[in-house]
Amino acid sequence: MTERAPTRTNRPASRRPALAGLALAIAAALIAPRTARADVTADCEFLEISAKGGDKPAIDADLKPLEKKLKKPPLSTWTHFKLLSRSQKVLAKKKAEAIPLKIGSATATLVETVDKSKVRLTVTIDDQKGKQVVSNTTLVEAGDYVIMVHELPNNEGHLLSVTCK
Amino acid sequence: MSRPTSDRDPGARSDLELMEHADGERDAAELAAHLDRDPQARAKVDAIHQIGELVRAHLELSADRVHDASFAAMWRRIDGQLVAPTTGVWARVSAWFDRYRSHVITGAVSAGAVAALALIFRPGTPDPGFPAVGSHVIDVRPAALRATPEIDALDTPGGSSTVVINMDDEDGHAAVIWVTDDTDPEAI
Repeated sequence: MTERAPTRTNRPASRRPALAGLALAIAAALIAPRTARADVTADCEFLEISAKGGDKPAIDADLKPLEKKLKKPPLSTWTHFKLLSRSQKVLAKKKAEAIPLKIGSATATLVETVDKSKVRLTVTIDDQKGKQVVSNTTLVEAGDYVIMVHELPNNEGHLLSVTCK
Repeated sequence: MSRPTSDRDPGARSDLELMEHADGERDAAELAAHLDRDPQARAKVDAIHQIGELVRAHLELSADRVHDASFAAMWRRIDGQLVAPTTGVWARVSAWFDRYRSHVITGAVSAGAVAALALIFRPGTPDPGFPAVGSHVIDVRPAALRATPEIDALDTPGGSSTVVINMDDEDGHAAVIWVTDDTDPEAI
């Protein structure tokens, strides 16, 4: 009539599903593609900014961390600063990372880390025609900024700010 | 059975009396004595006994058949409620899971534990766009302790002029790289 529940005599056989699951999990963990340990990375933020002159100063709220620097010469040439794009990238050592921009394009490469508190970065910016505007390699402390400014006609500017940590 | 007639033997018994005697409803001593004397009456009583036995046996057999059929139906209903029919594949899977539920749970918990350990001890590739947990080796020092940025290399193809300025404040330093196109007569 009804099926009997497993008894003590067949318990070892009934453990097989659990043991099989455990074995599968261990096997999956062992054969999972071993990725190289990201021993050197930097978490970097890229802010693309447009700048122009005007009567009253206007700085986007998203640019608050840069506000003091934007009000100092030579950046104080302009009074209006607008955030065009923001990108957060984890840079791996010696691996160029494309940075999407509204105007032109950019790449960033983490060359190395120095003294556990500095990063050496290479940043390249191309204009909308694909012509390289600037390529620089800078050693900067984590938390500090590198700001590349491309002066445009009509007293306007195209800025790219980089900070890593 | 013959009905009693008026010209019969006064000591003879009616068929009704004989039937009552055969059924045990009449137990008169004189009737028993009469049967000993009257073979015809005795034959009637014996015939009534035989017919009664036949009817009784038939009824008992019928009752037994009904009894067995009812119990068989009842057991079928009980069995149906105790064990779900295991006809389809899904029903078989469900029955198997019901039987080995605790083992399956144990296996799943074990697998989860192994996976958690694998995640802890085997850091994966950092996901572009998001900080990789535990992979940072860069310390953010207080602004006052930071060194001024150093420009190692600077290239402005096309003959653009550059100005490099270091700005610093309580939030830290900033290296400003100023690029002006040579072709722009308004350039600084």
